[in-house]
Amino acid sequence: MTEQTVAIVGFGTAGVNAAIALRGAGYEGRIVAITRGPAVPYSPILTSYYAGGQKSFEECFPWTAEEIDCLNVDIIEHCEVDSIDVNARCLRTSRGDFAYDKCLIATGSDPVTRGFPQVEGFEPLTLRSMEDAERLKRVAEDPACKRVLVSGASMVALKTLEACVLRGLEVTLVGMMPHVLDMNALPVAAERFERGLSNMGVALKLGTTIASVEVISDAEGFEGRRLEVTFANGDVERFDHISVAHGMRSNLGFIPQGALEIDRALLVDPYMRTSDPHVYAAGDVAQALELISGERSIVGIWKNAAVQGACAGRAIVYELASREIPESFAYVGSISTNTIVVGDLLFISAGTIKLTDARRVEVREDDDMLVAHIYEGSRLVGFNLVCDNTSARGVAYDTGGMLTIRIIGGLAGARP
Amino acid sequence: MGLLKHSDVYWSFIGQCTQCGYCTGACTSLTNNDITLGGIARALLAAERKASTLEELRDNIMADESLVNAVRGCFFCTSCKNTCFAHNDVCDLIYHARVDFLNLGLIPREAYSSVMVDEEWDIFTAYRAIHGIGYADLTRHRAQEGAEAATDCDVAFFPGCSLAAYGPELTREIFETIDGFSEKATMLDSCCGSSLKSAGFFERAEALCDRNAVEIEQSGAKRLVCVCPGCANDMKAALSARGLDIEVVSLSAFLSENGFTPKRPLPETPLVFSKSCQDRDGRYLEETCGALGVDPETPAIFRGCCGAGGAVSAFAPERQAAQADSKLSFVPDGATVVSMCPTCTYTYAYRLMESPRDIQSKHYAELLFENQFDWDLTFAQLGGMWCGEYGAWLAQVFA
Repeated sequence: MTEQTVAIVGFGTAGVNAAIALRGAGYEGRIVAITRGPAVPYSPILTSYYAGGQKSFEECFPWTAEEIDCLNVDIIEHCEVDSIDVNARCLRTSRGDFAYDKCLIATGSDPVTRGFPQVEGFEPLTLRSMEDAERLKRVAEDPACKRVLVSGASMVALKTLEACVLRGLEVTLVGMMPHVLDMNALPVAAERFERGLSNMGVALKLGTTIASVEVISDAEGFEGRRLEVTFANGDVERFDHISVAHGMRSNLGFIPQGALEIDRALLVDPYMRTSDPHVYAAGDVAQALELISGERSIVGIWKNAAVQGACAGRAIVYELASREIPESFAYVGSISTNTIVVGDLLFISAGTIKLTDARRVEVREDDDMLVAHIYEGSRLVGFNLVCDNTSARGVAYDTGGMLTIRIIGGLAGARP
Repeated sequence: MGLLKHSDVYWSFIGQCTQCGYCTGACTSLTNNDITLGGIARALLAAERKASTLEELRDNIMADESLVNAVRGCFFCTSCKNTCFAHNDVCDLIYHARVDFLNLGLIPREAYSSVMVDEEWDIFTAYRAIHGIGYADLTRHRAQEGAEAATDCDVAFFPGCSLAAYGPELTREIFETIDGFSEKATMLDSCCGSSLKSAGFFERAEALCDRNAVEIEQSGAKRLVCVCPGCANDMKAALSARGLDIEVVSLSAFLSENGFTPKRPLPETPLVFSKSCQDRDGRYLEETCGALGVDPETPAIFRGCCGAGGAVSAFAPERQAAQADSKLSFVPDGATVVSMCPTCTYTYAYRLMESPRDIQSKHYAELLFENQFDWDLTFAQLGGMWCGEYGAWLAQVFA
């Protein structure tokens, strides 16, 4: 009998967890992982800590080379998959074709710079990969770099801002929405967060965008130039560098149109199977069950990628053995959870902030902390917490944990 | 399978851990040992990889002092889990590590002999036997001399071992009140098994809880009233695992919904509430405030383990004392610390006896009912048990 092959496209959180689950479930066949990154993957969550000087390079790798070796995976590193042929069950790459019996797509997502004007001779900073972090670190450490503009107000943008603040840079944040964290924070929580940012010296330009950027020669500027930015509101300011984080986009460019069912990402069933029975998806490329809406959506957080990867790995083992996958292996779904610390400012959120006629907000605020609860009837469906990290640290994390459990408990109670 | 029985759990954990290190800052045990939760899993797997025999594995683990201290020094308080943005399940990790430690002979079983609560004799049953504390008349679902086992109870009461052993009058008073609010109540005077779990006897703890669940089912009860949030968590899990439609409610919630009025005024001293680490979603504290007529937004609250969790005292009693002291440091002199779990009340009372301060340690039930714990008497009796007429027997039983 020919040895079976499981191919993993992308070897980050989801991919590694799939490999762990495959081996843990007793799969002894070949696992081949094709990744544009290194054989030992880094954590995208830790890149801002590296750029900010809180973590060393080595500390950004959640798994050691020895641990990855234990998984016995043929890793084709620094290799892009050009396309997938689902009929031939084959991955096409510049290093040849790779046939598979089952394939997991776990290619993650990349930051989007869409909307940032093209500027000749200037490439803005982004933050996702270790290379991105390395570049941001170099810029931030250069004494000639004093003023940085962060474009975008999402979690990724704030992670960049966090690194810059840690490096003592003068930072301006520009966002097209009226508030920061518009996907995660209610206006009342965002306002408190913004006050905290202002108090630590971050200049906020919200409700506007970058209209144009001009490179101006300046011997005293970073790399002998300054960037003159004209904002949509007419303001003009000069910066040493610009970082752009206008959201994230799932990496699905190698999938031929119509080959797999795609909405915003690959639609998957409870066992992370796509529309093709031999192709699975996990992490930022998968649109899986979100518990509050009951719909399939991308909840692009580390934990989901890990759990979904493991879920796919276990399911693959059963399918390869032509055994029915136990119901207990199904992906239970997720809620969105986020934590971010900028300087001494802590923001924790979970659940949804989407307001409907059936939902109401209750805000409790004192000098130490703001907690906004979103209720649907008597059921908690989301919360935002903003506080000073030093004075409220233990209480804040305990409250965040407690409210997250309440959201999940409410969901469990609502199920039959 | 490798040399470690639960290497799959450790692999799964390191898969989900980013090694960001936030958990370390949230826990004195992790801080003292400069290790993350993922680091614990990683160290166990590394020790396994370097070993070809169980003896080598034992040596490798014992050579890693940080690992041993972190695994045995965990209170199961979940502070680290709250801090972990991935909400990784620390309890699951440490429970399994302790099971592996036990299997490898790295934890001396005799360290926990007095809390083997699924055996005939443990510290609670011995104390009750020596001091004549029994509840045969209240455990109506068990056949008694001259009375058949009741199967028509509607409510079961679960006081937990500390309350049943050290507060017999209070236990009876609570039962009578519950009985008065129900058609027919019964009481389970057994343990939820948390001390077994803490020690690493995970399966035995689950088996004990399952036996409790069977008893409750046989009693006919549709509601289980728990005094302690930890007992409630364990019993919820056991009842759910059996697929039983039995609701677990806190004593405070049960009393409130039945219009109970506290039998004594609140102490005039300031109240400082200890939110139990087992009170994961904070409902116990909220419901207790409700039963006491205290606005949950106003009282002073401190969080975290009293030091009794995780059977740490059997390994490092000084850590338990330090943990209790660190929590009591939130309580000003002249105040009353109100705990949710009777074992916390016991722990704080014991610490205040050893290192006196002008602080009262009270369980919330003591603020609701007439009867009180008498800790001076209890500690004297507990100490006296070992040298009195039962001393030799106890020494033999718990050897």
